[in-house]
Amino acid sequence: MRSVSTAWRAERFGAGAALSLAALVFAGLSPCEARAEEADFGPFTPEYAEFFGKIEGEATLFGEGPRFAGQRRHDLSVAIEPTIRAEWLDGDLEFTFTPFARAAAADDDRSHYDIREAKFDFRSGDWEATVGLDRVFWGKTEANHLVDIINQTDAVEDIDDEDNLGQPMVRVSRLTEIGEFSVFYLPYVRTRTFPGQEGRLRSALVVDEDARVIERDGGRWAPSFAARFAGVFGGADIGLSAFNGVARDPTLRPGGFVATPAGPAPTRLVPVYETITQFGFDGQYTSGATLWKAEAIWRDGQEDLRGRERAFVGATGGLEHTLFGVGEGTGFLENADLGLIAEYSIDSRGRNATTIFQNDVILGARLALNDIADTSFLLTSAIDHEFGAASIRLEAETRVTDGWIASLEGVLFVNSGDDPLASDLRDDSFIRMKLAYFW
Amino acid sequence: MAKDGVEQQGGASARIATFIVRWRWAWLALTVILAALSVARLDRIVPIDPDARIFFAPENPDRQRLDAFEAMFSKDDNLVFLVEPLDGKVFTPQTLALIGQMTEDMWRLPFVRRVNSITNFQHTYAEGDEMIVRDLVEDPANVTPEEAAEAQEIALSRVELRNSMIDPAASITQVQVLFTLPSVNPEVEGPKIYNEARALIDRVEAANPGIDLRLTGSVALNQQFADSGQKDASSLTPLMFAAILLIVGLALRSFFGVASVLLIIILSALGGLGALGWMGVQLNSVTVLAPLYVMTLAVASAVHILVSVRQHMVDTEDRKEWARRALTEHMGPIVVACVTTAIGFFSLNFSISPPFRQLGNITGFGVLAAMIYTLTLLPALVAILPFRRQTARPAAGLAMDRIAEFVIARRRPILLGGIVVVAAAAAGVSQLKLEDNFVEYFDESYEFRRDTDYAEERLAGLYQLEFKVDSGREQGINDPAFLKTVDGFAEWLRAQPEVVNVRTLTDTVKRLNMNMHADDPGYMRIPEDADEAAQYLFLYELSIGYGMDLTDQIDVSRQFMRVTFNMRDVTTSDMRDLTGRAEAWLAANGGQSLTAAPTGIVHVFNLISYRDTRAMLTGTAIALVLISAVIMLALRDIRIGLISLIPNVLPAVVGFGLWGYGVGAVTLAIAVVLAATLGIVVDDTVHFLSKYAKARKEGKTAEDSVRYAFSKVGMALFVTTAGLVAGFGVLAQSGFAVNGDLAKLTAITITIALVADFLLLPALLIQLDQRRTPMRIPAPAPALVAAGLIGLGLVAFAKDVMAETPEEKGLAIAMEADRRDLGFGDYTVQGQMILRDSQGQSSTRVFRNMIKERPEGGVGDLSVIVFDEPRDVKGTGLLTHANIEPADDDQWLYLPAVKRVKRISSSNRTGKFVSSEFSYEDLGGQEVDDYDYKWLRDEPCPNLGGTCYVSERTPKNSKSGYSKTIVWIDQAEYRLDQVEFYNRRGEFEKVMTFGGYQQYLGKFWRPDTIRMENRQTGKSTELVWTDYVFNAGLEEGDFDAQRLDRMAR
Repeated sequence: MRSVSTAWRAERFGAGAALSLAALVFAGLSPCEARAEEADFGPFTPEYAEFFGKIEGEATLFGEGPRFAGQRRHDLSVAIEPTIRAEWLDGDLEFTFTPFARAAAADDDRSHYDIREAKFDFRSGDWEATVGLDRVFWGKTEANHLVDIINQTDAVEDIDDEDNLGQPMVRVSRLTEIGEFSVFYLPYVRTRTFPGQEGRLRSALVVDEDARVIERDGGRWAPSFAARFAGVFGGADIGLSAFNGVARDPTLRPGGFVATPAGPAPTRLVPVYETITQFGFDGQYTSGATLWKAEAIWRDGQEDLRGRERAFVGATGGLEHTLFGVGEGTGFLENADLGLIAEYSIDSRGRNATTIFQNDVILGARLALNDIADTSFLLTSAIDHEFGAASIRLEAETRVTDGWIASLEGVLFVNSGDDPLASDLRDDSFIRMKLAYFW
Repeated sequence: MAKDGVEQQGGASARIATFIVRWRWAWLALTVILAALSVARLDRIVPIDPDARIFFAPENPDRQRLDAFEAMFSKDDNLVFLVEPLDGKVFTPQTLALIGQMTEDMWRLPFVRRVNSITNFQHTYAEGDEMIVRDLVEDPANVTPEEAAEAQEIALSRVELRNSMIDPAASITQVQVLFTLPSVNPEVEGPKIYNEARALIDRVEAANPGIDLRLTGSVALNQQFADSGQKDASSLTPLMFAAILLIVGLALRSFFGVASVLLIIILSALGGLGALGWMGVQLNSVTVLAPLYVMTLAVASAVHILVSVRQHMVDTEDRKEWARRALTEHMGPIVVACVTTAIGFFSLNFSISPPFRQLGNITGFGVLAAMIYTLTLLPALVAILPFRRQTARPAAGLAMDRIAEFVIARRRPILLGGIVVVAAAAAGVSQLKLEDNFVEYFDESYEFRRDTDYAEERLAGLYQLEFKVDSGREQGINDPAFLKTVDGFAEWLRAQPEVVNVRTLTDTVKRLNMNMHADDPGYMRIPEDADEAAQYLFLYELSIGYGMDLTDQIDVSRQFMRVTFNMRDVTTSDMRDLTGRAEAWLAANGGQSLTAAPTGIVHVFNLISYRDTRAMLTGTAIALVLISAVIMLALRDIRIGLISLIPNVLPAVVGFGLWGYGVGAVTLAIAVVLAATLGIVVDDTVHFLSKYAKARKEGKTAEDSVRYAFSKVGMALFVTTAGLVAGFGVLAQSGFAVNGDLAKLTAITITIALVADFLLLPALLIQLDQRRTPMRIPAPAPALVAAGLIGLGLVAFAKDVMAETPEEKGLAIAMEADRRDLGFGDYTVQGQMILRDSQGQSSTRVFRNMIKERPEGGVGDLSVIVFDEPRDVKGTGLLTHANIEPADDDQWLYLPAVKRVKRISSSNRTGKFVSSEFSYEDLGGQEVDDYDYKWLRDEPCPNLGGTCYVSERTPKNSKSGYSKTIVWIDQAEYRLDQVEFYNRRGEFEKVMTFGGYQQYLGKFWRPDTIRMENRQTGKSTELVWTDYVFNAGLEEGDFDAQRLDRMAR
């Protein structure tokens, strides 16, 4: 089948032309040179190649004035994420390269670039192998991604934990009757991006990324290992995972103490990446229009908010129920689907947990209009049972015309004062508008 | 029975009887098992199927024409409210206000499509250059007497209204309500409408004492079919039990005897009904009486055994011995009698009318059940229950002896007289008239009959014929020449004495032409120009009211036009005569291009007796041959068997003749009478002949043998025949003529048969069987004949059971289509989906589809769809593991932006796939087991050319968005040609057409385009498939959820 789809796509978008464009992006050559002739790599000429991606502009407006000096009330930024892909051996060998870059007006630390993917995938029968930078997602639930651990979060992109940095890896997996078994060797540590002095959505003390500490031999080259099983059993999709290596979420220790009349006070936060061991379970049971979801982890090796290192358990679970054709027969929203989401997250460390989802109820609704523009809305709210803090998030998206997507994102922080991890964000409610072009 | 035969059989019978009596407790267990089997599927036979059309088999060509006609125009399920003001004036402000109010109220009835009354009649007239279309009475609630008078003048002047909506004296009118039934729950929908309409009538009548309301129409007719079935069942069943108790009580004078007979007949009736349940057929107004048939017939065998028991209890105290002797004596005749009766009824399967096939099957199986119970359970009961022993000999058959002596003494006059009587009576057959008038099926005890008769007398009844006039080409109805011919045809019809009114579009066209010329009466004619005619109709369609359009007058392609007319005081033959004249007129005046054929439910009924009589001729002949063969085999004597034919066939012929003299008109029931009675009347003959043959073989003379036979079975024959006549006499009380006629004719025939058996048969025997030795059948013959019998019997009675029902044919077509597509392995294809809204705006989706067949049963195929355009969804993958309904498919979605594979709910059958007109259901795996099927008809393919099977598919999953789909599959290659989708409300919603089929791998057909048009919203979606590649090397592993991210590139 690979050869077929390959042949068809090659016809629509000449392989050589695609590679020329690829070369253009690689080397920053002028379009004239790229167009001069189709690339020829001799025996290594791909059987198929394509070039696609997206470019987006966004404007962010914060509801209230800055809390910290240097911050601004609004932000403008542009980002680009192109992809080049090439295939050989009837599609069994594949190369993907996806760089990413963002330029933000307000915060230098938000202006960043990353290689999201740069990898070779090779497949032979039931075996698959990946070498290079890649993104891998594990998990089932909507709000709290407990099990997902392979990639570092790109925290300056958004606060929803959905954007990841590319992770160097060697992965080997095998598909069996009962599911897929994978092992990962992760030779390099990607550290988290944090907003800078001028960035909004940050803690009171700025995180000093340069002062990071990796508590495992080898520093950035400290290896991590992971294994995963994922399979389908009737209505149930089950994942089991294990991880040993450098934590993806650092413990933020106060640092840069200066003397003040009240005693020494910290001036910054130092991210400390500890060595952890984690076992995870994620599962979903699909029963008609209702999806039951659950994730749980056991993790050891990390400090809690009080600085004590002890093993803990985190769990999240809930359901998503979809009402298909909510407006059927009414003439309004005839074909729209309304998904209702209810999840609960808990952490055995309680008030000392290093996650904001330590005892939270997540309620949400997803409305898909199923119109030609694929308009959809997602409303989620996370309410902290312990501290009473709540964050409400609305995402809306529609296709303006083929290839152009306009979206709106609004986040409201309510009653965040008592939550040690959220109180710094209490003035950072914002609205973000995006317009993206896909080619 | 021949001498040695009797001895042998007697020996065998004795051994079997001993066996049966010894194992008496086992038969109780067997009874429990059989009874459980009988009731296991009984839930499937209720409620009564309320449809006049059950009488028409799907293969009935008249029915097929009617179906095609209704598919082209509309299926008129209607209710007609006859409104008669007691002051005799319709056009008064009060009455008009009431009619207006009723017209409004009717819209609230369920499934209503349209309401027609004189107030909302679309009146057209000219006002200067403008053509005005308005309701005849615009504000019925506030009408002045002047306006009422004006409306009356207009109404009476309009040919469309006169004699249909209003009588010439303006004293009676009707409100007509048309319904479109979803036909999802037929046993609920019609009654729901009917009951609400009845309630509405009660309310209106209570509020308006000056108004007389009557109700008729096809919905009421259907209701009547169901009601009459229920009424028959509830009123005749107790009567039947009373009659049986009386007769059996008199004959046996034993409490346990009567109780045993009751138990046997009830179990037998359950056996017959149980067979219907296993066949999955609902009861209807005919078969509802079948259990009573079974009971009537089952009584006879049981009585024979018990009378014999009574005789033997005199000789011995051992009750087991009573049973053994009775069995030994009667086992043979009972088996023969029951088998022949069953054969007679099974031969009803040759009828073209399904209710009679079912009646035959219920009764046939019921009688076989009766045979088993009588030969097992009954002797067991005799041996077990404390029957009181009577030691007095039963009263000798003195009367029987006298009859015997009388016949022997005067056999020649009897024979001669018999020939004369039979010939005279048989001549009456020529007086029979086949009269199938579905209104007169119901006697005048039914309100429906009275109301419908009244409607016919005063305005217009249900005798409505339809002509589909073919203009010969698309858009041809605008052709002035064609319109003129149709107009001429309508005028010709109006001139016929039987015709009350004629409705056709040419009247509207003429009127519009006049309106467009400033109401100049000179223009009350067909326009000269085709464009003009087309424009007028277009204008008219634009301006008429809600719920009205021309689609029930002309077909979509505008090639066919409908001419509808009502008749009054007509018989079936009058109607046949009129249609013949009409066809002759059209042939003479229509030219070559114009063709027309009559149809309508009246027309189908018109021809049904004729068709059924012909069909049943074959059935009856086969039954006759089989039954005679059984008798010859049982008696082992060809000559006696041949003689027996005479008293078997004569009674029905004489019965028909008497009916012809006495009544004349007969319903389609007549066709099945001969076959049904044959098996019954044979019983008497068999009992008589077996005793006669036994005596002959013991060396007695023919005369003495007749005496012996009379003394042995004369009384029993008289009693059982009296019982049968009483039973069928009860059934004859049915107010439903089809049932009543059948029962009356049967009762008459059985009575005549008894007379023939008592007089004619002995006379014949003595005359023809004088000195000769019996013509014995050589030894191997019985085996050969038996084998032939079994084969023939299977063929004969299994026609309904084993031959294809429409359901089986529909399923067979679907399975064949599926089979032909089996083994494609895998393929990939590029798809392009073009979505268009009603304004012509379009949007395009491009995707690849990879499909892998899973040949094992119980699961559907595997599919991955990967989107390429719009670019923002590029790489989005949808993986489907299809399952058989009602199980949901398994589906996963790959979202490239978050690199996430999500299992999604696939219970959404009705949602629209990427906002196209295709729902997930339409695109999902279509497996044979997902639907129930029913073949409807064969007709030319709408798109591909050639002939198509047209089947109805009903989804098994209640979550489906459709109540049904109609599928066209071409006969040559079993390719889908067209699918029509009816939404949950039963409305026609979408049509899917296939085009550009190409064959791959020399076997598998795939379309290039699939077009889905939503007829309700005007939106459409076109799917264009290109680059099919079969044997693409896909493996099941490629369709694993964990590999979806790799496939979706």
